[in-house]
Amino acid sequence: MTLSSFLIFLPTILSGSLIVHLLWPERRPMALLLKLSLGVGLGMGISSILYFMILVVAPGRVNMLLVTFILFAMLSLAVLVREQGRQWDQPRFPRLSGLQWGLVTAMVVALGFMTLTFFNLILSRPQGAFDAWSIWDRAARFIYRDPQNWHAAFSPELDWLNHPDYPLLVPLNVAWGWEAVGQETQRIPIIQAMFFVLASAALMFASVGLVRTIGQASLSTLVLICTPTFIAVGAGLVSDIPVMYYILASSVLIFLALTQQPRLWILSGFMAGLAGWAKNEGLLFIVVSMLVLILTRPKGPGRVLTRYSAGLAVPFAVLLYFKSIAPANDIFALDAGNQWTRIVDLSRYWLLLKAIGAQALGFGGWSFSILFALAIYALVVRLKPSSHSRLGVLTIAAIIMLQFLGYCAVYVLTPHDLEWHLGTSLGRLILHIFPSALFLYFNTIKDPETIFA
Amino acid sequence: MQAGLKRTMVVMLVAAALFSVVQQWLSTLHADRGGEAIATWEARLVPARKVLPLDRGVIGYVGDWDVPGIPYALWDQESEYLLTQYALAPLILKKGMVAEWNVAVLKPKTFAAWQAAYGTQFEVLPVGRSVYVLHRLGSQ
Repeated sequence: MTLSSFLIFLPTILSGSLIVHLLWPERRPMALLLKLSLGVGLGMGISSILYFMILVVAPGRVNMLLVTFILFAMLSLAVLVREQGRQWDQPRFPRLSGLQWGLVTAMVVALGFMTLTFFNLILSRPQGAFDAWSIWDRAARFIYRDPQNWHAAFSPELDWLNHPDYPLLVPLNVAWGWEAVGQETQRIPIIQAMFFVLASAALMFASVGLVRTIGQASLSTLVLICTPTFIAVGAGLVSDIPVMYYILASSVLIFLALTQQPRLWILSGFMAGLAGWAKNEGLLFIVVSMLVLILTRPKGPGRVLTRYSAGLAVPFAVLLYFKSIAPANDIFALDAGNQWTRIVDLSRYWLLLKAIGAQALGFGGWSFSILFALAIYALVVRLKPSSHSRLGVLTIAAIIMLQFLGYCAVYVLTPHDLEWHLGTSLGRLILHIFPSALFLYFNTIKDPETIFA
Repeated sequence: MQAGLKRTMVVMLVAAALFSVVQQWLSTLHADRGGEAIATWEARLVPARKVLPLDRGVIGYVGDWDVPGIPYALWDQESEYLLTQYALAPLILKKGMVAEWNVAVLKPKTFAAWQAAYGTQFEVLPVGRSVYVLHRLGSQ
């Protein structure tokens, strides 16, 4: 059962990787790892969108495994046709220095402990965190148990704590996974969560490795996978890791599109759309990334925006349709008349600042402040951004900053008890942008190879 | 001197990261088994699912908050309500005795108080372990 739960997602994940390869025929080993890690999110996003579209047109039992196999076969054929006659050089793996071997080994050891911790947490709570069963798997159950009436998953009759307005990327994949294995097993949400956790780590390693060095890639991945909150939230089976992954994927692709391959704009737009399809915070990311792309290219954002929007179009259209039939979000629907009162209440800003200060000290569950530690590390080892990536660095920095400010604005507006709301979510929201910030950080500071040279 | 400090920083970052991940792993070795509580709750509601004559639609949910004079902890009640919703999906649970068919999760003492207040309006089908299916009398 565990093996079949794992195998059913492979066709869609490989399809995702093939799409990336079709758009970007780069063959360096690090690029291949990047394509594989991007394939996880892209494939999962595509399968959930396809399932959603099929349910809209013909509600009922769907053999999604067959659909993903057909997609995989078609894409394999397309790649074979395109690769025909092309010379496939043996992939040349870089020769690692002693320092690089040491750092890669440390990362692999950490990955092993991370995986053990993940499974210990799963054994402890197989149903995941509170939100996992009350929101995400609850929605998956509605769809799987009564696909003819799948709209009930987001009925306005549901309690606001069930968050029926939350988008469906994760529940749809769980529902078709159950359909494929023939029973409602917890292994499906667990395997999906594991894929997103491992893909996030691989994406961090491959992206930093591609634009900087193997040593720097190992350090950035070490910091990510050794962050206790990252592992705990991943094992919580909630949608925070998927949305975090999509924000990182879109940010990395924006950076690569600006610095290496303009074709990746389409993919970065698609990933941004999937961020919105994974969790409502992704909607903010769509707005923020579009805004930054306009502001950082005042002379001619047209071409970039056209490509980015082309990628965004399908997931965004699906999201808009879903939002048109789902109930309004509780933050904007409950007590909407008093929003102005909340905006001018200075005590809310003070509470917010105190919570941000507490996160600066304790974010991620480290036994010391990882944010201060990274600041001191940067002061000592110094910055070393590559000259051709200045626009990329500024763009990603602006996106992260605006996304964070957007979260702050939502806290100011929230109709719920602010202290409770901050206490239950601020750490997870910062986690959404933490890997993108790490990508930016390790892109701009001196790498260990230079330090030890 | 400065080069040495920089190298030390790299080593310290790696060591701190490894220390953190090992520390977290150790802390999860004897983690509690909270997941069993959800499985137990679901098992309690299996008989209710069998008794309820509908597979979809809205049913009512009766908790301590519906019984006059019974003190309750709000988040405990909310959690029980959400757990029941999770177990009975795809039925939609609305708080209160709002539908023809309702599910009540009440301890014996609280149920006695509920019955004294509303018992004449419902046919009560006990389905075990403090779970009751309530059918509004006079409904078709």
